Amino acid sequence: MTAEDRRRAIVTGASQGLGELLAQFLGDEHYELLLTARRREPLERVAERLRRRGAAVEVLPGDVTDAAHRRAVAERLGPAGRLDLLVNNASELGPSPLRPLTELPLESFRRILEVNVVAPLALIQELAPALARGHGRVVNITSDAAIEGYAGWGGYGASKAALDLVSRTLAGELRTAGISVVSVDPGDLRTAMHQAAYPGQDISDRPLPEVTVPFWAWLLHRDPAAVTGRRYRAQSDRWEVAG
Amino acid sequence: MSTRVATARPSAPALADRSPESRGRQRDEVRLLVSATTGERDLSFRSLPDLLAPGDLLVVNESATLPASLPAVGPIGEFRLHLATEFGDGLWLTEPRWSPARPGPLPLADGTAIAAGGVPATVVARYPGIARLAFVRFEGDVPAAMSIYGEPIRYGYLRVPEPLERYQTVFARVPGSAEMPSAGRPFSTRILEAARRRGIGIASVVLHAGVSSLEPGDIVTGAPPLLPEPYAVPAATVEAIARTRRAGGRVIAVGTTVVRALESAHDGCSLRPSRGFSRRYVSPAQPPVVADGLISGLHAEGTTHLDLLDAFLGRAARERAYAHARAAGYLWHEFGDVHLSFRPARA
Ligand SMILES: NC(=O)c1ccc[n+]([C@@H]2O[C@H](COP(=O)([O-])OP(=O)(O)OC[C@H]3O[C@@H](n4cnc5c(N)ncnc54)[C@H](OP(=O)(O)O)[C@@H]3O)[C@@H](O)[C@H]2O)c1
Repeated sequence: MTAEDRRRAIVTGASQGLGELLAQFLGDEHYELLLTARRREPLERVAERLRRRGAAVEVLPGDVTDAAHRRAVAERLGPAGRLDLLVNNASELGPSPLRPLTELPLESFRRILEVNVVAPLALIQELAPALARGHGRVVNITSDAAIEGYAGWGGYGASKAALDLVSRTLAGELRTAGISVVSVDPGDLRTAMHQAAYPGQDISDRPLPEVTVPFWAWLLHRDPAAVTGRRYRAQSDRWEVAG
Repeated sequence: MSTRVATARPSAPALADRSPESRGRQRDEVRLLVSATTGERDLSFRSLPDLLAPGDLLVVNESATLPASLPAVGPIGEFRLHLATEFGDGLWLTEPRWSPARPGPLPLADGTAIAAGGVPATVVARYPGIARLAFVRFEGDVPAAMSIYGEPIRYGYLRVPEPLERYQTVFARVPGSAEMPSAGRPFSTRILEAARRRGIGIASVVLHAGVSSLEPGDIVTGAPPLLPEPYAVPAATVEAIARTRRAGGRVIAVGTTVVRALESAHDGCSLRPSRGFSRRYVSPAQPPVVADGLISGLHAEGTTHLDLLDAFLGRAARERAYAHARAAGYLWHEFGDVHLSFRPARA
């Protein structure tokens, strides 16, 4: 396979947790990767590890809320660049330990919305031309907190609920451009973010992010038109397509 | 597909070590065990149409069996690759084995280049928690390779290798199962004709069964104890089931795969047309709600098939039926005898 045939994917927040697992899976599936996260060192370490597995990986450290960073991401693809997959995975939990909405500093709430809703949409706007050229897929990572109204999870949950509606709406709006958009709730995972939600507690009963591999293997091989607009739970016992 | 989840092991049942055809019989010449609250009856499968009533509906699985076992070669030498489930675009969930009789795990790291049936392929990722299963991506024509080099997946209890045709049911239409949906196997055109004359309807689903050779501890804690498998429940089948219900008929699932497909299409309130991948685990804790009756082979203790039967019949009734079947010398496994039972609530 030559470099030109290679599918290209961007994963935000790829230096640990679910983003790292996804980057590894996509690298093994021969996607050419552009990975982001704020801290350069952990990101470089992941890139090195994936290159040793044979993956083609570039990194671009930066904060998804920074417009200049997002512009730089788009520019990496080149003026007529093609993008096959964008995964909006980077996310902000809010203060740890979690606190009820009445005590959530509004600055924290604004930051959560900025990272979890505004930045993913901004990145999609920035990358829409490249996604259209690739008939690409957008995967927005959501959470069951978007639906359940768990005490303490209100700020984060509201941001994910907003992201879900952004995903559904975009799916309709972008259908004619050939871009598909899905929301994926990965389910509870043993990661740094999950630990931050339960500081000092033992979370070793939660599965590692690799538990989602069968779902990614399934989703990324479906016809995009059959999945666009849907919300999936990666650890559920059923993944449905249209038609 | 079935997973061993318990270890209870009553006296060993008799195993079907070859097909009825290899025993000089026809495919519908197997025994039929009928369970009712009043007790067990020993009948011939050919009497099935008489046991059902006009207006009853048989729901069958149209999945055809693939020659899914391929000779393979890699840095570790020669081995066999069992193709369990196609995820799409040449990506398969597979089970590499040293030989049909010798399971893995094989030391095949992610990224390893192999070839199976002459088609180059790469190991992409392990199945989480199950080191013996791996996702493999092929660069070439897998169906063609299977048709030339593939054999049906066989397990050790078979005395003679049976040809692929013996692994197809009369309903087989859509290739995709690594293991035969065996409850449909005793059906013959003559039984279907008799059922039609009696006014018994037939509707279909598809569920492509993967490999059933999972071992205790194979499954990640908390995850469903089944692997995801493709299924489709078409609108025509949803409508046929609704019509049957309205007219007071019974819905009889032919095989545990059909029960799982139907339950996967039930959203908790109603049955809807549905397709996708499912690992819905039917057990006494998550009982089935769609089918009233079940025709099934006889399944080994400690498998997820038995959990499904326990959910269907009730544990005590199922154990009584199996004790009867063992004592009466019924034959277990895919080429063996079959069992008709009803859910108590609607029997
Ligand atoms: N873990 C769970 O139980 C769970 C459950 C449901 C949903 N999710 C969702 O799954 C996704 C991944 O979560 P995770 O548990 O893997 O989290 P994680 O381990 O905390 O990883 C988050 C990643 O995002 C990066 N990141 C965070 N903020 C960023 C920003 N503003 N700009 C760029 N990169 C940023 C982090 O690196 P830097 O810190 O260096 O930026 C890191 O690479 C999130 O969308 C989360 O909401 C997780």
